[in-house]
Amino acid sequence: MTSLKVFVIARLLLVIPTILLLVSLVFFIMRVMPGDPVIAIVGMKAPPERILELRKALGLVDESGNPIPLPIQYFNYLANLFRGDFGRSLIWGKRPVLVEIMEHLPATIELAMAGFLVSIILGVTLGTIGGWKGGKMSSAVKIYSAITYALFIPWIGMMLQLLFAVWLKVLPVGGRIDPGLEPPMITGLYLLDSILTGRWDSFVSALRHIILPSLTLGLVISGVFSRVARTSVEEIMRQDFVIAARARGIPEHRLVVHILRNAFIPIMTMMGLQLALLMTGAILTETTFSWPGMGTFLFERIEYRDYTTVQGTVVFFAIIISVINLVVDILYAYIDPRIRY
Amino acid sequence: MEEILSIRNLKTYYFTRDGVVRAVDNVSLSINRGELLGLVGESGSGKSSLGLSIVRLIPPPGRIVDGEITFRGMNLLKLPEKELRNIRGKHIGMIFQDPLTSLDPLRKIGDQLVETIIVHTRVNEEEAKEIALRALERVGIAPDRFDDYPHQLSGGMRQRVMIAMATMLNPDLLIADEPTTALDVIVQSRIMDLLSDLKKSMKMAILLITHDLALVIERSDRVAVMYAGELCEVGPSEVISQEPLHPYTQLLLESIPDIEKPRTKLVYIPGNPPDMRNPPTGCRFWPRCPKVMDVCKRISPRSLELDDRFVRCHLYNGGLECGR
Amino acid sequence: MYTFRPILVKLVPKVRLSILGWAGAGMVALTVFLAIFAPLLTPYDPTKAVGPSLQPPCWEYPLGTNKIGQDMWSRIVYGARTILIVVLLSTVISMLIGVPLGLISGYAGGLLDRILSMIMDAIYAFPSLILAIAMAAALGPGILNTAISIAIVYVPTYFRMVRGQTLSIKEQLYVEAARAIGANHTTILISYIFPNVISIITVVFTLSVADVVLTEAALSFFGLSVPAPTPDWGFDLKAGHPYLLSGYWWLVTFPGLMIMILAVGFTFIGESVAEYFQAREVRT
Repeated sequence: MTSLKVFVIARLLLVIPTILLLVSLVFFIMRVMPGDPVIAIVGMKAPPERILELRKALGLVDESGNPIPLPIQYFNYLANLFRGDFGRSLIWGKRPVLVEIMEHLPATIELAMAGFLVSIILGVTLGTIGGWKGGKMSSAVKIYSAITYALFIPWIGMMLQLLFAVWLKVLPVGGRIDPGLEPPMITGLYLLDSILTGRWDSFVSALRHIILPSLTLGLVISGVFSRVARTSVEEIMRQDFVIAARARGIPEHRLVVHILRNAFIPIMTMMGLQLALLMTGAILTETTFSWPGMGTFLFERIEYRDYTTVQGTVVFFAIIISVINLVVDILYAYIDPRIRY
Repeated sequence: MEEILSIRNLKTYYFTRDGVVRAVDNVSLSINRGELLGLVGESGSGKSSLGLSIVRLIPPPGRIVDGEITFRGMNLLKLPEKELRNIRGKHIGMIFQDPLTSLDPLRKIGDQLVETIIVHTRVNEEEAKEIALRALERVGIAPDRFDDYPHQLSGGMRQRVMIAMATMLNPDLLIADEPTTALDVIVQSRIMDLLSDLKKSMKMAILLITHDLALVIERSDRVAVMYAGELCEVGPSEVISQEPLHPYTQLLLESIPDIEKPRTKLVYIPGNPPDMRNPPTGCRFWPRCPKVMDVCKRISPRSLELDDRFVRCHLYNGGLECGR
Repeated sequence: MYTFRPILVKLVPKVRLSILGWAGAGMVALTVFLAIFAPLLTPYDPTKAVGPSLQPPCWEYPLGTNKIGQDMWSRIVYGARTILIVVLLSTVISMLIGVPLGLISGYAGGLLDRILSMIMDAIYAFPSLILAIAMAAALGPGILNTAISIAIVYVPTYFRMVRGQTLSIKEQLYVEAARAIGANHTTILISYIFPNVISIITVVFTLSVADVVLTEAALSFFGLSVPAPTPDWGFDLKAGHPYLLSGYWWLVTFPGLMIMILAVGFTFIGESVAEYFQAREVRT
């Protein structure tokens, strides 16, 4: 069994307790609410049947109206999750939360991917140049990294909207696509689907709508990458094997490839860690650009006090993040042979 | 004896935030074809900087400020970068102290060898692989190691790989910067044997940079002793070991523990190497010199060349400066 | 017995800031200035409608007015108070929870340490904003609730740093010596370990406070921070957004700009501090 296989198995085993812990954390938080959540939803004057109904829906009481003790609530919660039941919406007629999440997920994935792409291109390029050239360029990149990290996404988004949508009027102010131009559903990613089905007009519309949001998201996250790329390249360039390679007469253009490959590991590590930032960034970006994804969805449900949906969504996020971290970890073990156990 | 490398008045300085470090200060040295010249000095003596200067790989904030390095009739310091790269690896090879960090950790050693060959010659990949395998064989590494990563090899083996890489294109000169310092004594001996073999079979000159005088006396043809950026003494190793002229060389020799002599206290050289941003005036060794004279503190000693020996010390200047 | 002064002195390590650091300090100082001198800087009450709706910046209302007729400049200067109070409060809470837990966990070790560390790691792994949103949604609006929601997110950061520092100090000789002369655990913790942990607390603070600012801004953007009439920059940003399309640019530009200045200011300070410590390490 290769060292890589061993690593994958060990890592998979680690994921289970991690997810368990996160999921329990969410349960704990949602139970921390002071006061009666049901009253918060329907008000003091609601009829008792309605209150009972809601209590059942929240998993607080059983069929006959008797309160369910906390440990059993916890057990039910875990059992449901295991079966893929993330709860049901309190508002939209008991729609399963999972279904609603799935409807809104592709939009977020598309935005996240676009933003991620922008951030990598922007960040890694700037960081590499800064690390390679040093001096003033390096300082400039340092400042860039610091500022972009501290950008407040909604504000940057709004400034871009102001410039391009309101004053210059060249790009749409929000939304995902012009109504009526949605491409046939294959993956749920408009850009991809429109290419696959050859709908040029859909593609252009989707592209125009995604430019500003992905630029906003990408800009903010690029700061992290530019910093990591810069320090990583700088450090690698000081390493012995670079001097040794030069001493062998290896030309600069070949060296760049080797340096980048070595520098890429910390960059990839960062990429994995940025998942959290990407998600929270996506949420803020979506609400600013009325992008119909998970962020807007979550925000909406919070406003409507749809607690079960909020809980289910947060849990979903937690699980997704753990899974993606797992994939990323395995990927680096593949690239860097030194990491495997 | 044919001279293949001639260093004249080399000055390499590091311009740091806290001052200028004169790592190599007006050093002249030459290396003959097929000889092993041992360059000895403490840490900070500038010996590594000298080695790096030859191939112009001094890292910033360092710079070669002045001097001439002649190799095969060309001044290396004035050569355009492209031609210099041609020389590096092909005509002048270099190996470093820590073979683990000198190899790209993410690539198989075979690939790294092949790349070096392809960069310097016109052979295709298959032929390059052949050459690489033969080079590995020559240093005693089995062909099934070709696809290994550096961290899968032992320290001694990694150093052999480095030697293979540096010598496989038959360079005229091999610069070896502390090649055995990171290895244990037995491996050290084997590596040195390997180097001697290669030197003989390829008529390759070796500049062995080290702090270990015993090693140098044992293995090299000539010895050069360096202190605080300046050369103190140069000469054939037998002669120097029997009749060292410079006080520093004498102290170094005395401090080598000898298994055959009766057990006495360990001799060492008192004091510390100077702060290179602010070295002492006059002869830089005077604060630690047992034979120091007044003139040593004020005036830098002139060099004296005699046959195949060279020494810089006021003891041998005929006392001209102090008017005695 | 430990006197107060040495502790205070240690809280502010002698750090030489770079130009970047001073620029950052200036930005933060500006915000603090606005907060402290708010009543002197504007005649209006930020929570009341004092002028015509949606007025662009002019002499009477330097940054314009919003839909309700509140003066934007007033909402900016008083808003500085809101955000600074929340940030300060949540930092204090994070420290009050994270530091003692870190000390105890690091010092005691064993099962307690393992359990606490696992919990802290779980919290740390959660994306900060989502966790804060979940907590804020659960707790409801208000300065204290918001501060608590944010504080929980950063407790693991303080916990980890303090625990790490405690672990390394624990092994030092002078702690052994203290034990040898019969000092009990509490004394050791308070008199020996804690003072050495203080400097790292400050470092953690400078590095994470920009994040806290942005988290507060995000929470108030979602309406989960302080309740309505209280001036809050993030809230104003959200409130002004719908009018952007019609060209009312002053409603969002200034609150957002202030958030940026505060966040960037803290970031610059943090960067400068981090660089200073890195440089120190290299020299030794």
